[in-house]
Amino acid sequence: MKKRIFVSLLLIITLFWPFSSLWAITINDKLPDVHGFLEFDYGYKLKNDTTKKNEYNMLEQRLQLKTRYYPKRFLADWNSEIFFRGDFVLDEYFGGETAFDLREFYTQFSPATSVDVKLGRQIFTWGTGDYLFINDVFPKDYVSFFAGRDDEYLKVPSDGLRISFYNDIANADVVVIPTFQPNIIPKGDRLSFFDSFQGGIAGRNSERRLVEPPKQLNNTEYALRLHRTVSNYETALYYFYGFYEMPRGYLNEANRELFYPALNVYGASLRGPILEGIGNIEIGYYDSRNNRKGNDRLIQNSSFKLLTGYEKDMGNDFRIGVQYLYEQTLDYRNYKEALLTQDFRWDERRHLVTLRLTKLLWNQTLHLGFFTFYSPSDEDTYLRPTISYDVNDHLTTTLGANLIWGKDEITEFGQMERNSNIYFRMRYNF
Amino acid sequence: MIGKSIFTSSEECLISYRLKQYQGFLMGFIVVLLLSFFNVGAVNAENLTVQEIVEKANNVAYYEGQDGTAEVNMAITDSQGRKRVREFTILRKDVADGGEQKFYIYFYKPEDVRDMVYMVWKHTTKEDDRWLYLPALDLVRRIAASDKRSSFVGSHFVYEDVSGRGINEDTHELVGEENNCYKIKNVPKNKKNINFDYYYIWIRKDNFIPIKTEYYDSHGKKYRIIEGLKVENIQGYPTIIEMKAEDLNSGGNTVITYKKIKYNIGLTDDIFTERYLRRPPAQWIKR
Repeated sequence: MKKRIFVSLLLIITLFWPFSSLWAITINDKLPDVHGFLEFDYGYKLKNDTTKKNEYNMLEQRLQLKTRYYPKRFLADWNSEIFFRGDFVLDEYFGGETAFDLREFYTQFSPATSVDVKLGRQIFTWGTGDYLFINDVFPKDYVSFFAGRDDEYLKVPSDGLRISFYNDIANADVVVIPTFQPNIIPKGDRLSFFDSFQGGIAGRNSERRLVEPPKQLNNTEYALRLHRTVSNYETALYYFYGFYEMPRGYLNEANRELFYPALNVYGASLRGPILEGIGNIEIGYYDSRNNRKGNDRLIQNSSFKLLTGYEKDMGNDFRIGVQYLYEQTLDYRNYKEALLTQDFRWDERRHLVTLRLTKLLWNQTLHLGFFTFYSPSDEDTYLRPTISYDVNDHLTTTLGANLIWGKDEITEFGQMERNSNIYFRMRYNF
Repeated sequence: MIGKSIFTSSEECLISYRLKQYQGFLMGFIVVLLLSFFNVGAVNAENLTVQEIVEKANNVAYYEGQDGTAEVNMAITDSQGRKRVREFTILRKDVADGGEQKFYIYFYKPEDVRDMVYMVWKHTTKEDDRWLYLPALDLVRRIAASDKRSSFVGSHFVYEDVSGRGINEDTHELVGEENNCYKIKNVPKNKKNINFDYYYIWIRKDNFIPIKTEYYDSHGKKYRIIEGLKVENIQGYPTIIEMKAEDLNSGGNTVITYKKIKYNIGLTDDIFTERYLRRPPAQWIKR
């Protein structure tokens, strides 16, 4: 991780070096404002496992700084801006380890009236789901999610380029990510998970290795979105060419190596007002390029996904949102026939429903939130209750929990059961 | 050469003389026209129907110019005297006077919502469309919002106070005239999702600014007041630049101060699209 950050910093500096004299801040310029927050996080563990610590799974402080600068010379005719947002983290969980997490560092400009370019480290998001993703194939941090960090840490930044074209027929976003960034997932030190090599829930005993595609130009990922708002309905088509963000393939079973198989995604979405609320529907076809016939037991099969949701304002600052996700493994017969007797067998179909309740009180300074995942097919549940209070304009305190149950150890949420925690967060914004 | 020159200059003279004549005629015509308009206006002002007064006030309060911008400061004081501040830039564009509008709101304060953008397409015959952009997640959220009586960003103003309440949602009755204002009683036609029984509004006779509103609950008790504290003429448009909302039940209040107000700034439609949610227009939001 640290090496990666270093490499990308180096890359960005190298890219911008030729221009540096053009956008260097001169004495006469007003220095850009710096904002951010100082935060304390503590997550008390409710169950024991074999991770590094049994008492807590989060104890950290972070300082986030962000600033935006509008250069007077560097591409100034193109309305350029430079944005920086980075976290300095002091992580007591790992014995006071310090880290710098560069969240965003990009330049943005408009070379033509209908074209926007965003280059550098940035966060990519699209699609219509709420904590559920089909066409948003950009990296996520599920360690942060299950540990109870703020929602903004669910997304992992990528180093890349986004070019957006706007016109009356359809707007287009082209995303290019030359350096693959996978999801951040539990590896046993902070959060336990189901490790197939261990045949059960693993903590520090996990020895599996996740092998990323080599950093080569031909491993560049591409994503495309065509979107258009028709009346007040947002329609979009998606295409992705890259790799699974999760290690969905076995590279070498004896060496306990997993890899990120090649993936194409084709999808579509629609979002707009319906029945006095907002409805959305999104579909996606995951084309597992390394296992198109579905008869390779070591690599995830292609699949079809459908997501639909509805959100309604009930009045008095109370909102309800529901979602349904359907996932179907394709060529399931081939998959079944290819399995060996000792292999785990995944279900062909997965159903997942979610419920979100939000209530604001006391002039919207007290936020009550409740999010639930429940899968009737996996028979697992994940509750995320939160209560947060804005003490004043700067200070916010949050108390929340990640409560997880599952009938089996191998399901998506079931494997996370032992990571259940109650967390406390205090953030001072400036 | 010389002859041509003389000819030309005399022709110029003739043209400019004709023009002056024409200008004189035109000016006279305009003056007469304006006078007659004012005259008509003055005559009609005495005989305006309630509907006309309310429509004029609605246009003055929410539809001045084709578009506009302002920097807004909201000072919220709760019942225990604790203060909170919200600061944002608002961009507005009218699709049609008295009809649909688009709003773009970019937040500076409080710091936890800094750089967030809130966008509204206000409709008159259907629910408004609302979007929120969360920059830390690069997320464009669509917001279900049918309750226009809920608080606007935690203040004592509700959404309807900021974007306007449809004038056809109430019946209006002119109940009197006080301090050079029309006093109008308004009763909602549909009481669903509404926490008031009726409200009085005072509309200034000279410029049709709705200067004060008082809300009454079902027991006939006054519980909420909105009052314009300062009015200024900006580019010829009478504009409330400071207003206060008071909750008599809880005891809290919010004061809104508008700065850097500009009308007719030539906002294009694309400002109010996903493009500028994701990339706020520096021209308008840079401070």
